[in-house]
Amino acid sequence: MIFMEVSSAAANTTVANYLPIVIQFIFAAGFVGTTMVATHLLGPKLQTKKKLQAFESGIKSVGNARQPFAVKYFLTAILFVLFDVEVIFLYPWAVNFMELGWQGVITMGLFMGLLLAGFVYIVKSGALDWE
Amino acid sequence: MMVLIILTAAGILAMFASVFNGRSVVLPVSLSGLFAAGYFALLEWNTNTTYFEAMRMDNFAIAFTVVCLFAAFVFLLLYHYMHYSSDVHYAEVISIILFSLAGVVVMVSFTSMLMLFLGIEILSLSLYILAGLKKKDLLSNEASLKYLLMGAFATGFLLFGIAMLYGATGSFMLSDIAYYLGLHKAVAEPFIVTGIIMLMIGLLFKVAAAPFHFWTPDVYQGAPTLVTGYMATVGKVAAFAALVRVFQLGFSPALETYQFLFAAVAVTTMFIGNITALYQKSVKRMLAYSSISHAGYMLIALMAANEVTNGAVLFYSIAYTLASLLAFAVVAILQQKSGSDEVSVFNGLSKSSPLMSITFAVAMLSLAGIPPTAGFFAKFYVFSAAISDGWVWITVLAIINSFISVYYYFAPVIASYMKKGNEEGIVLATPVKVLLAIIALLTLLIGLLPGSLSYLI
Amino acid sequence: MIPQIFQTVPIEHFVYLSAVLFVIGVVGVLTRSNAIIIFMSVELMLNAVNLLLVSFSSYHQDPAGQIFVFFIMAVAAAEVAVGLAIITMIYRNTHSVDINDMSRLKG
Repeated sequence: MIFMEVSSAAANTTVANYLPIVIQFIFAAGFVGTTMVATHLLGPKLQTKKKLQAFESGIKSVGNARQPFAVKYFLTAILFVLFDVEVIFLYPWAVNFMELGWQGVITMGLFMGLLLAGFVYIVKSGALDWE
Repeated sequence: MMVLIILTAAGILAMFASVFNGRSVVLPVSLSGLFAAGYFALLEWNTNTTYFEAMRMDNFAIAFTVVCLFAAFVFLLLYHYMHYSSDVHYAEVISIILFSLAGVVVMVSFTSMLMLFLGIEILSLSLYILAGLKKKDLLSNEASLKYLLMGAFATGFLLFGIAMLYGATGSFMLSDIAYYLGLHKAVAEPFIVTGIIMLMIGLLFKVAAAPFHFWTPDVYQGAPTLVTGYMATVGKVAAFAALVRVFQLGFSPALETYQFLFAAVAVTTMFIGNITALYQKSVKRMLAYSSISHAGYMLIALMAANEVTNGAVLFYSIAYTLASLLAFAVVAILQQKSGSDEVSVFNGLSKSSPLMSITFAVAMLSLAGIPPTAGFFAKFYVFSAAISDGWVWITVLAIINSFISVYYYFAPVIASYMKKGNEEGIVLATPVKVLLAIIALLTLLIGLLPGSLSYLI
Repeated sequence: MIPQIFQTVPIEHFVYLSAVLFVIGVVGVLTRSNAIIIFMSVELMLNAVNLLLVSFSSYHQDPAGQIFVFFIMAVAAAEVAVGLAIITMIYRNTHSVDINDMSRLKG
């Protein structure tokens, strides 16, 4: 195995290095546990109907929260995700902008042009019309 | 590269034609796109042009590109004549087909794992959409969802395999991986073994080989029939070309080690496909199982891994593509007429449409591997590749399977000639008639003159 | 360049972590019946692969692995778009995204 040397050399040193992280975990869990138990024991227990209601800035809550909402939101969201993710290809280009020179600009222009063509299609086919 | 650019540009034009009220230009644009792509692909014959160390248009790639372009050409014409007026998404369908062909070109010409992944995904994403074309039809919906979930699942395995191989060899290039495997005699390293097996699982999913075939019958039956034909021909042939390519260019030093695995998969695939096909009432489902069994036959050629493998796989792909196109075209036309895909729709077909019954009979003969059709020589080359490598037992099993398959292939043919049915004539558009006749003639012609086709690559 | 500091963590740890994530994804796909949760499990599988590729990339001091990750992310986004569109289409017809309800296709 090609990784053997590396791992056996590193293994001796790393176990001790994880100790602070373990202590951090114990503290985090301990804090959460203590506060939860403490509030449970110390706080007065009053359960009236008003207290169990969902709080919406003093306005009476109406209906169920688990309602499906219009598909239009969903379509916009999907299209957003599509175009949003393509931005990751801009990062490596931006970092190497100088090295890639004009060829990089042209390539990126083509890429963006294709994306734009998709966008034009979306607008023209009426996917973004709200009604 | 020109091939990719042309196909993408034609796809975008077709896509825009739908929003700018240009339905009538869609067919001319897409057909000329196909022809131009085919021309530029053939122009690179014997040149071995390499693009960006990611794709190489060698003869293997060009041959498979042309086969898939031809299948897409047939599909486009049939789709045009059957759905031009009835489908509101006509132009989008054709543009998706063109985009999927760009994926096919990448899949058959890659030299880097990155391009393998991109090609498979471009093709698969197009096929997921095509499977769900009939938005209101619950069967089509179900097929599309099953295909998507199973396809994405398989992609996960494929990627995990690629990542493992990258970890072991430090490169995505097939040539680097092959060099590493040869240099270190490293076929048994845990990372390599995991990598190759995971990659195999992913690709076997895509070619629908047992035990990774279970999605195939449902998807093939639920999808619109023409789309099923497209999946069964282009989808399967491209995936198979990718499988052959990755093992030949990347894992050739390890192929010996995995031969037995391939043999086991090939035998299970043939038996499961052929025996289950016997019990099917729906012709589409029967053809789905038959396509599974054909993946098994092609795996035999891959497993043999000698100098005739490529030729045998190409010949088999051509014969299988022609016969499947014919079969699915006839089933699609009959289903549009009668709304059913049971064997009984073939009753009396020889009276209502002699052309369709005879072309369907040719297709079935070819799929069953009976001379003088192309299917016979396809099987012949595959078996001789296996025997020249000493795999006699697997050849015997494959021949037994061919005999089993004769039974179910002949059921619809017998129905169309022997049984009485609706004898009202079926009217076909002239280009569809010509197309059916040409494909049937090609099947016979290749069967009569197999010649040098198998030594092409 | 990729910082050397990442190499002090043994590569096996990354492999184990991503293998575990991958297996969680596989088990999710095989056992859950809600189409959206299956889809999330598939995404988990892809992200396990991404983690694996990035760690190998830093191990080999080779940026190709990270470029591959970019492509996986972009393709996964396209797959999600297509997948969610298909799931919505089914929800409109059947008001359910349970894959156990989908057994109309039988041989």
